[in-house]
Amino acid sequence: MGIILGYISTLGVYFCIYNIFAFGLNIQFGYTGILDFTVITFMAMGGYMAGVASLGPEQPGSGIYYVLGLIASRRLRSDYLAIVTLAAGSIVLGLCGVIMAICWLVANRIYRSTFGRTMRAIREDLDVAEAYGKHTFRVRMTAMVTGCIFVGIGGVLTIWFITALAPAGWGTSETFVVWAALIVGGCGNNLGAVVGSFLVAVLFNEATRFLPAIPAFPSLVSEIRNMCIGGLVILTLWFRPQGVVGERKARFFEVPLRTESREQVRVPAVVASGS
Amino acid sequence: MRQPTAVESRGVDEILAVHELRRSFGGVRALTGCSFGVERGSITALIGPNGAGKTTLANVVAGASRPQSGQVVFDGRDVTGRPSHEVALGGLIRTFQISREYPAMTVLENLMVSPQRQAGEKLSTVLFHPRRFRSEERRHLERAVEVLAEFGLYEKRNDYARNLSGGQKRLLELARAVMADPKMLVIDEPMAGINPALIERLADHIIRLRDARGTTFLMVEHNLDVVERMCDKVVVMAVGQTLATGTMAELRGNAAVVSAYLTGGVVDVRAQG
Ligand SMILES: Nc1ncnc2c1ncn2[C@@H]1O[C@H](COP(=O)(O)OP(=O)(O)OP(=O)(O)O)[C@@H](O)[C@H]1O
Ligand SMILES: [Mg+2]
Repeated sequence: MGIILGYISTLGVYFCIYNIFAFGLNIQFGYTGILDFTVITFMAMGGYMAGVASLGPEQPGSGIYYVLGLIASRRLRSDYLAIVTLAAGSIVLGLCGVIMAICWLVANRIYRSTFGRTMRAIREDLDVAEAYGKHTFRVRMTAMVTGCIFVGIGGVLTIWFITALAPAGWGTSETFVVWAALIVGGCGNNLGAVVGSFLVAVLFNEATRFLPAIPAFPSLVSEIRNMCIGGLVILTLWFRPQGVVGERKARFFEVPLRTESREQVRVPAVVASGS
Repeated sequence: MRQPTAVESRGVDEILAVHELRRSFGGVRALTGCSFGVERGSITALIGPNGAGKTTLANVVAGASRPQSGQVVFDGRDVTGRPSHEVALGGLIRTFQISREYPAMTVLENLMVSPQRQAGEKLSTVLFHPRRFRSEERRHLERAVEVLAEFGLYEKRNDYARNLSGGQKRLLELARAVMADPKMLVIDEPMAGINPALIERLADHIIRLRDARGTTFLMVEHNLDVVERMCDKVVVMAVGQTLATGTMAELRGNAAVVSAYLTGGVVDVRAQG
């Protein structure tokens, strides 16, 4: 029972972290149309910074475990140890959840803003946006940096709460998983990023962990996992190219149309020439 | 920035002046020393056979393409080789020969992108001062709805732009440009591929915008009937140069112009008759 709950909370942490990765990539690709194939770089950078920072005692993940462990060993009988471990797990999950929620709010606020609209215009047609006075380079740069900050935050959480980082284990496949999550879930919609993270990063990535390892081919399981995810991506692109939850149509509050401004009626002469 | 010295004033108030523009693509010389001026508040036509360099000229003027030599002066400022967005912020907006709407955005959104220097286009404002751009949004929204109504696209406001018909896309292109509040519009064949009734409507819109807002138009157009009806001045281009300028009536008597059209492949009998 305790093990299962612990496992679920670990999955929950993974889910939150992948959500944040996917939000970051969504800002870059889904909003602005930037093809970022180096997601992993910024995960690793975040992870590295967190790793360096946690050389001191201020690592929250282990800190929580440390405090709870202290309480457990001092004050509680061993029966309660499992419960305390669980509590630690859920606190970690809660923290990740809160950070993810903040990222969600920020990402959505950007999407709905004027800035988000300009990003989408650039995604749709860079030259036209440029011809309408948008500093496309600066906007794309901002999108890139913002996305990378998100991914970096995900990287930090990975180090704090998963506490396992082997640089060799972070290859192109991590980038691939985030991309797959976004494509399957739906670009340009953060809900899509969430759905995609759940389907790809949690279900597929984790379910395949239960496949028995074959000693002769130690990498077989991870290869099968990548193949499954690749298959899922292809199926999505084939049958539902917009993703499970595609981008939603922008809705504006309805401005009542004044009757005198029907077609062929003059516009208000506000701008005099050469002003 | 250089001072606009190369183009001397010709006694009229010129909002745009191009001087000796040259641009070639490999061996193809698209512009071979093109010079002319556009009077402020006029509707000026830019005509010429296919391949004369009209679109290239529009690109160079709007900063989408750099000239190898020559000068572009817009509204008293030398904008030669400046990036597109800078030229646009100066008040010159161009449209494209092939309609290029933002396909996966709604008609209303297409318009909402256009206003320039929106406060909500700064990330820090979006994150920390959301109230600052909400009222601005509201203002732009009211204006956008008004413009859509003028162009008869109000009913389509929540449709994806990619689902509009060819003619509606042409209307959208112009409506979107109007939203940017330009001093001058360079429109590349706004009436290509649309039916005569819509041509009338577009022409009316353009004249109305000039009259009501004083917007200057430089319009690339092949339909000489429309040109004759709408335009104050006509600039004729051939093989990358200005062949002649004047009113349509003056140009009809110009043998060089007639022959350029005859040899250039575009023959409009009515306009020459
Ligand atoms: N990007 C480019 N690369 C190579 N050649 C080009 C390019 N753009 C234009 N040209 C060439 O420059 C010449 C002028 O082209 P341009 O598009 O300006 O003509 P146009 O007057 O707009 O013609 P149309 O009336 O058919 O639109 C043509 O010979 C064309 O092939
Ligand atoms: Mg052309």
